[in-house]
Amino acid sequence: MKKIFNFSPLFVAGMLAIGLLLSSCGKDALQKAVKDAFIKGDTTEVAYEAICDIITSNAEKYSDYVDTNGNINVDALDQMINEVGQNLRPPMTWNTKRYGQKSLSLSIYFERSGSMVPYDQASGGGQLKKAVNDLINFFPGGENASINIVNDNIYPYNGTVESFLQDRDIYASTKGVGDASYTDFKVIFDKIFQAQKPGNVAVLITDLIYSPKNTAGVSVDKIFNEENSLATSIFTKYKGKSIIVNQLRGDYDGQYYPYNGQPFQYKGQRPFYAIIIADASTIDRMAKDNRFANFLNLSGTINSYRFNQANTTLDYKLVPVWNNNAGRCRESRDQKGLITNCEADRETGILAFSVAVNFNGLQKDDAFLSNPSNFTLQSQNGFTVKVEKIDPSAITGNNKAYLEGMTHVLTFTGKLGTAKDEITVNLRNDFPAWIEQSTSRDDSSASATGFATTTFGLERFLRGIYDAFSASQSNYTTMTIKLEK
Amino acid sequence: MDKKGIYLITGIVATVLFWVFRVEVYEGLFQAPGFSDAMYNTGIYGIVGLITAAMAWGAAAIFYYAINSVQFCRWWHWLCILAIVTIMAPIVCYFVNSSIFDSENYSYAAEMVSFEGVNMIFTAVLYVVASFSIRWWSTNCRHTPFPQ
Repeated sequence: MKKIFNFSPLFVAGMLAIGLLLSSCGKDALQKAVKDAFIKGDTTEVAYEAICDIITSNAEKYSDYVDTNGNINVDALDQMINEVGQNLRPPMTWNTKRYGQKSLSLSIYFERSGSMVPYDQASGGGQLKKAVNDLINFFPGGENASINIVNDNIYPYNGTVESFLQDRDIYASTKGVGDASYTDFKVIFDKIFQAQKPGNVAVLITDLIYSPKNTAGVSVDKIFNEENSLATSIFTKYKGKSIIVNQLRGDYDGQYYPYNGQPFQYKGQRPFYAIIIADASTIDRMAKDNRFANFLNLSGTINSYRFNQANTTLDYKLVPVWNNNAGRCRESRDQKGLITNCEADRETGILAFSVAVNFNGLQKDDAFLSNPSNFTLQSQNGFTVKVEKIDPSAITGNNKAYLEGMTHVLTFTGKLGTAKDEITVNLRNDFPAWIEQSTSRDDSSASATGFATTTFGLERFLRGIYDAFSASQSNYTTMTIKLEK
Repeated sequence: MDKKGIYLITGIVATVLFWVFRVEVYEGLFQAPGFSDAMYNTGIYGIVGLITAAMAWGAAAIFYYAINSVQFCRWWHWLCILAIVTIMAPIVCYFVNSSIFDSENYSYAAEMVSFEGVNMIFTAVLYVVASFSIRWWSTNCRHTPFPQ
């Protein structure tokens, strides 16, 4: 007995070790799978399905994530997943709710006015038809799209999606539909908006030339002002909508109808537009879903702009080690956007730190995002910013937790002369310069400068839309970073 | 409760607290950009803390109960075991750490060496804690390293 007592401390020590071992090894399989997905950067639908499989294979144990019908409780699971993500370093998020969402539907509105017909001639490159076909093909469920012909009104296309895609002369097969002598944008936009149900995405293929009836003798300024007011009046009524205007260029061979003058023959390039119309939330959803990447980044697009893009909260992470970093700092684990223990480089006195940002949701091209002049920075110590697109080859095992899922790295450089500072970064949402550059005031002759690249009155119409939404779109995003020594 | 029991319970509580607050304890002495986040995310602080505590207590248990020899009960014998465990535990932790990092494609060789340097301190402290917790019931070494 005494001998046993003599070994009791050993027994206690052994129990202690086993206790600690069990407490560390007993991690739940579900939580481990979630954590692994975050750490490996595998926050995909496939990984989500695997997590759902763990739940359904042991529904009793994971009853918190199963509803009364035996289905996955998407909200509860999303909450648990993001709680696990928030406990990681850096904190991570995973929008899993979108996986179970209802499919979106597509409606194509194909303008069939006199000046659109020459875009699809046998002699041309067929860029317009290819763009429409791409929009249908790259839209998940595009085979069920509804196709409509528009000019003075909206008319349903008689064929099927398949016949539309295969039709080599769409204007010939739709000849006689509506009145092709003018396009009534007011009727068209109003009808598209009114017909649009939640989850529907409408695309209008048009040359965006405002061509109402009886413009003979009317001054350009009067036409433009009318066009501008019309756009504002239409779009003001639909504040929840968002519009993406994609400018493309296609071969044109045929009669061109100027606003005020004799029609003339023209052969060469002309701009046309694919205008995507949907609820702002629907476009936000598509922007976050890779399946819509080709649809939103339409091949052949020269310029693009989204109207009514609300200020987006961006996901960003401090990158501890990056090329241009100087000095030292530490991201606070208690407060998002707070960087503490800032120490400048001893030799230069400069503090440079980098944050990885996901700009994907903004639907902006690299040229726009990589241009520091599109950013405004406010800070007491005059920090500057350098923007770099993340090269996939720069992602290593060590930095993948910070760079995975991110698109750009912003490096802030300055001398932190005060104990604290607050850097506010805005990505400005200005009326894009390309619209002005793509606008003509005179389309009476093909020899006019920029006839191949400009659209009559484009700026006034799009400015009217911009004005309708201006209150909600001063910045694409705002980021605030607090610094402490 | 007698003094021996208080020592034992205090030692266990100190070790449990070390493990519970392992992240704060380790990062209090060593932090490196990126490396510390990787250690935290992969849960290595817990594994390393567990190995360190188990080896320190195990070494003390071997000294006081397995060896438990009158020919090996001087303070320098005790110090010898401390030196061995202080070297061995970080080596074991390094290899465990390294294998987990390899599986996650991390490469922090230099940081791991520095971290294990810090872990040597904790190993030594835990060995001392374990020694003062369990030595009282050793038949031949209860006066090591200091007389009762």
